[in-house]
Amino acid sequence: MGAALRWVVVIAAVAAGAFGAAQIVQQASSGQQPWDPELTDNFIFIKSIPFVLAVGVAVGLLRGRAGSEERRGELVRRFRPGTVIGHWIATIGFVLAMPTGMWQYLGGVLSQDAPAPGGQILLDLFRPIPLYWIYRLHYIGGAIILFSVASFAAYWWTSGDRALIPPRGQWRAHLSVFARGLPRRLGARIAGPLRLDLRRAMPAAKRFTYYETAFSFPSWTIVIALITITGLVKAMRYVYPIPPFLLYWSSTLHVAAMVLIFIKVLDHLRYTLARWPMMVAMAKGWVPESAIRRVLEDDVQRESAPAEPVPAREPAGAMTGSER
Amino acid sequence: MKPVAGALGIVWALVNLILAYYFLADAFIAKTAAREGILAQASLLLGGLLMGLFALLVARVGVRLIRAGNAT
Repeated sequence: MGAALRWVVVIAAVAAGAFGAAQIVQQASSGQQPWDPELTDNFIFIKSIPFVLAVGVAVGLLRGRAGSEERRGELVRRFRPGTVIGHWIATIGFVLAMPTGMWQYLGGVLSQDAPAPGGQILLDLFRPIPLYWIYRLHYIGGAIILFSVASFAAYWWTSGDRALIPPRGQWRAHLSVFARGLPRRLGARIAGPLRLDLRRAMPAAKRFTYYETAFSFPSWTIVIALITITGLVKAMRYVYPIPPFLLYWSSTLHVAAMVLIFIKVLDHLRYTLARWPMMVAMAKGWVPESAIRRVLEDDVQRESAPAEPVPAREPAGAMTGSER
Repeated sequence: MKPVAGALGIVWALVNLILAYYFLADAFIAKTAAREGILAQASLLLGGLLMGLFALLVARVGVRLIRAGNAT
């Protein structure tokens, strides 16, 4: 898709989004709607979803194809500004959606029963906040995540960038290095059924660690897809008759996905905080080549397996071929 | 910047530890979970255990970052 056409798509999506937002606000503030604040917010959210997705797709398309590798002396570009901004936009969405989602679940469980010891403290802490505000923030966070998902999906689809997953035929090799980095007993337990060779020698990754390609990114994709689909079904229930069976499982799996995301965020923080160059890269886009090279080499050298060194000419961690 | 990131990591870990406690307690106490059956209770138990474990790991990394200061 040419640059001009991409801009036309973006302008059309933004114009449609602005028109849609104006219509939604006009309807909601007309005084003709009989619903309470909570249900009003639900209708605003569900009506805005097509526009949010459209703008997200358009922004993803705008980013287009990748450029070539970039360097500034010792620094290599690991992420383009679009990826850095997109990552932090998604982070804001999660920061809004996660605590509010957790409160909807935990507050409900604590309120219905005799609370667990200390539960009354939590209930009292949140009592001054009207419930519709919890839902409102959850919907805002959800909309930001939907925008982010649409944007990244469109970008990855059009750019052809597949660096975050193992290349075809390489899954077992990537999983082997990932399993080797786990606590020994856990790694062995996973290696057996998956027929992984924990002694397999692999070169240091060029962009993303084997942990990221074999485990982190695929599992993020699964949990985000799960929470997005189940969340959409739940949000639709007042505007479309959802079969009770489907609604029950959507609610159950939405909560399960939320808990998995809490665990994923903790695991993400555990991993990246301990590898500071990754934090620098996601904040600035640029990172010292030697620092990121150390991280990538440590990924394959935690055991005694011999690793091929990265050729000196290839900058470790830099974008190559397609932008990430 | 490292100590700030470490401190924020510890705060997030503490919040998650509190949540993990409620999950674990509710696996045994909450009547709603008991009504939904052993699967719901086991999910709360497993979720709470995993959240607690990973929260401790994040807290450990946070402490290391604070101790390291801004050294590279």
